[in-house]
Amino acid sequence: MTPDPDEATLAPLDDAPDELARRVFVQRLTFMGGGVVLLGNACKESPKPDAGAPLAAAPSRPQALTTSHLTFTNEDFAIVAAAAERVLPKDEDAGALDANVPEYIDRILQTKQLESMKNNFVPGVAALDRRTQRMFKVGFAGATPEQQDEVLTIFKNSPETSGEARWYEMLIVLTLEGFLGDPSYGGNRDGVGWTAIGFTLVDHTKADPGKGYDGKKQLEALRCGGGKGC
Amino acid sequence: MALELGRAGFKVVVLEKGPWYKKEEFVHDEILNSRRNFFMPLPWDEPHLWRAGPDKPYSRTNEAWTANCVGGGTVHMSGYFYRLKPIDFRLKSELGAIKGANIADWPITYDELAPFYDRAEEELGVSGNAVPHPFLEPRKKNYPMPPLSEHPVSLEIDKACKSLGFHSIPTARGITSTAYKGRSGCTYCTLCGSYGCENDAKSSTLASLIPQAIATGNVEVRPRCMAVEITVDQKSGVAKSVVYLDPDGVRQEQAAKVVVVSATAVESARLLLNSQSARYPGGLANNNGLVGKNLLFSSFGQSKATFRVSKQKATHPWLETTAPFVNRSLQDFYVMPDNRFGFRKGGTLGFMWAHPNPIFAAVGLARKGEPGVFGKALKDKLREYRDSKILEFEIYGEFLPTDDTNVTVDGKVKDKYGNPVAAITIKRHPMDFVMTRFLVERGEEVLAAMKPEKLDRVGTAGETTILQGGTCRFGKDELTSVLNKDCRAHSVKNLYVVDGSFMPTSGAVPFTLTIVANSFRVAQGLVERMKKGAT
Repeated sequence: MTPDPDEATLAPLDDAPDELARRVFVQRLTFMGGGVVLLGNACKESPKPDAGAPLAAAPSRPQALTTSHLTFTNEDFAIVAAAAERVLPKDEDAGALDANVPEYIDRILQTKQLESMKNNFVPGVAALDRRTQRMFKVGFAGATPEQQDEVLTIFKNSPETSGEARWYEMLIVLTLEGFLGDPSYGGNRDGVGWTAIGFTLVDHTKADPGKGYDGKKQLEALRCGGGKGC
Repeated sequence: MALELGRAGFKVVVLEKGPWYKKEEFVHDEILNSRRNFFMPLPWDEPHLWRAGPDKPYSRTNEAWTANCVGGGTVHMSGYFYRLKPIDFRLKSELGAIKGANIADWPITYDELAPFYDRAEEELGVSGNAVPHPFLEPRKKNYPMPPLSEHPVSLEIDKACKSLGFHSIPTARGITSTAYKGRSGCTYCTLCGSYGCENDAKSSTLASLIPQAIATGNVEVRPRCMAVEITVDQKSGVAKSVVYLDPDGVRQEQAAKVVVVSATAVESARLLLNSQSARYPGGLANNNGLVGKNLLFSSFGQSKATFRVSKQKATHPWLETTAPFVNRSLQDFYVMPDNRFGFRKGGTLGFMWAHPNPIFAAVGLARKGEPGVFGKALKDKLREYRDSKILEFEIYGEFLPTDDTNVTVDGKVKDKYGNPVAAITIKRHPMDFVMTRFLVERGEEVLAAMKPEKLDRVGTAGETTILQGGTCRFGKDELTSVLNKDCRAHSVKNLYVVDGSFMPTSGAVPFTLTIVANSFRVAQGLVERMKKGAT
């Protein structure tokens, strides 16, 4: 049988520290500085259900989309919003909700480029909720910040190739994109994320996205190369 | 190539897989530019396969792609333009064979390439200042443009190097420091490497050579046209045409008297290996089984020094200045006088600011797994970053060719168009890591002398995969090389390869300027032969 190259990435990394370091940063294309890191490995595999939380056997729950969200149900949206706010809680600097991060995630998962990520991320939201239910008898959105952090930490520290770890990685990447990306994608409201990290370069040269710029439209234009055959 | 052939009056069709971006399309949008398929294809559409040794499984990646667009990797490059040194052309003769490494002398010398380095620097537009140092390559004149303005930290690096007995040198850049050949000078926008330039100040082929090629009236560029096969006349064995997918995905065929392949070392090898026929069952120009072998990248290592503005501005007043260019290099360890550190051929250290892309920075701070942080810990890291300036260096080190570092095609894995993808196997020579570690340690001495708040080692055993070479090495002997000295295939007399594929050894600087210079050299030979009716 042909080895499935996607499966292949699930193989454990070599133990030798140099080998590990190498594999970590061969993915960084550091010569380019900007790092064309296409969201790491997160988008490649479906979350692997662990024995206790079979992702396939999701409990019945309202699935209808609302008019206000494009990707998530209201219930899932609340979970994503709560998780994003735990990643970047508001303190003296803006938090994820201040920056509209949940809306960013909801919208960006509609882009063609992230189709496979969406298929992995959405079921992971339910898995997070179920895990919280099992541990604290309450859904993630209704749990205390301490409980939420505990569940997120479990996901974070799960084995690197597990569905939980990959879902956590997607959450981090999407939250940071929504916090620090161009505001035209729906996040980083009023540039609050850039203020928080001290990024001041965008807004004074002609290549900086101006009024009316819509990054998502540009992304859509990339999706098929623009030919008639798309 | 296209420019020189067009100037000589020959008709050229350039097939480019990607789009032809206008400078107005280069926008400072990190998500669009750096994190999606603006330059690189998505790994599930057009993957490369990658494995760390022949006994390891492959994984899908977008690693080892460079930009798919007119101008290729030169569009998003940082433009660190170095020449090779004379010894790079004679590594085996000068230093002797290395067990486990397939090093070979080049069939040309530095002196043969030098006039074309002059030419490439002139045509592309390079700014810099060549100063005397122990490893300065022979050159007739200084760079066409004066150096770019530098951040005051450059002088601090000079001081630190001097205190250590090292010779810091200005890094030449493929960026205009003044108006140049109809292009404007750099505006110091700071989002440079990994972005296209909105001002044509970056000396990409898109901004420099291609407009001139078009102006000859003899060159047509067809964007969004992906070459998938080179056909041959089965009788004579010469290349007949290039089959490509047009923007609508329809197969087209372009007949040609001469075919020049330049798709990066990985993708050029893939194209040749996918061009199988009765005459060339193992792929075009692959009679000796060498196409795809001896793949080269650049050995990579890096450390970064973090300075805290609020705490250190009194002792480090330059921390309050914002300017993008550091432009300092060290080549004191380019070749070691003896083997006492376990290697002879070393490399170059280039100093620069950490890239300012905020998402890239924050994802790096958050990490994942056990060392990962979120919540207040992550917010604290973002605040620390806000108050920091991060100076780093990276290594461009010799990358020894090995039997198990190569490109093949995997018929079982195809891209979205149904073409077998490039499968990369990489098994590094251990000497590369010894050398890179040594260079990283020297770089850390420089950074430490500048008294940063902290010094972090990124790694000592990496490779920079957007710098590619070696898959069709050139040489005098057709049993041990794919191309002859003119970069024409030994076995196919009208087929040329002019990206980094020809390089038998990597040298220890970024490949870009060398590839362009060599293209001018090859073009000159081809034009002369074509004027006589030959190929």
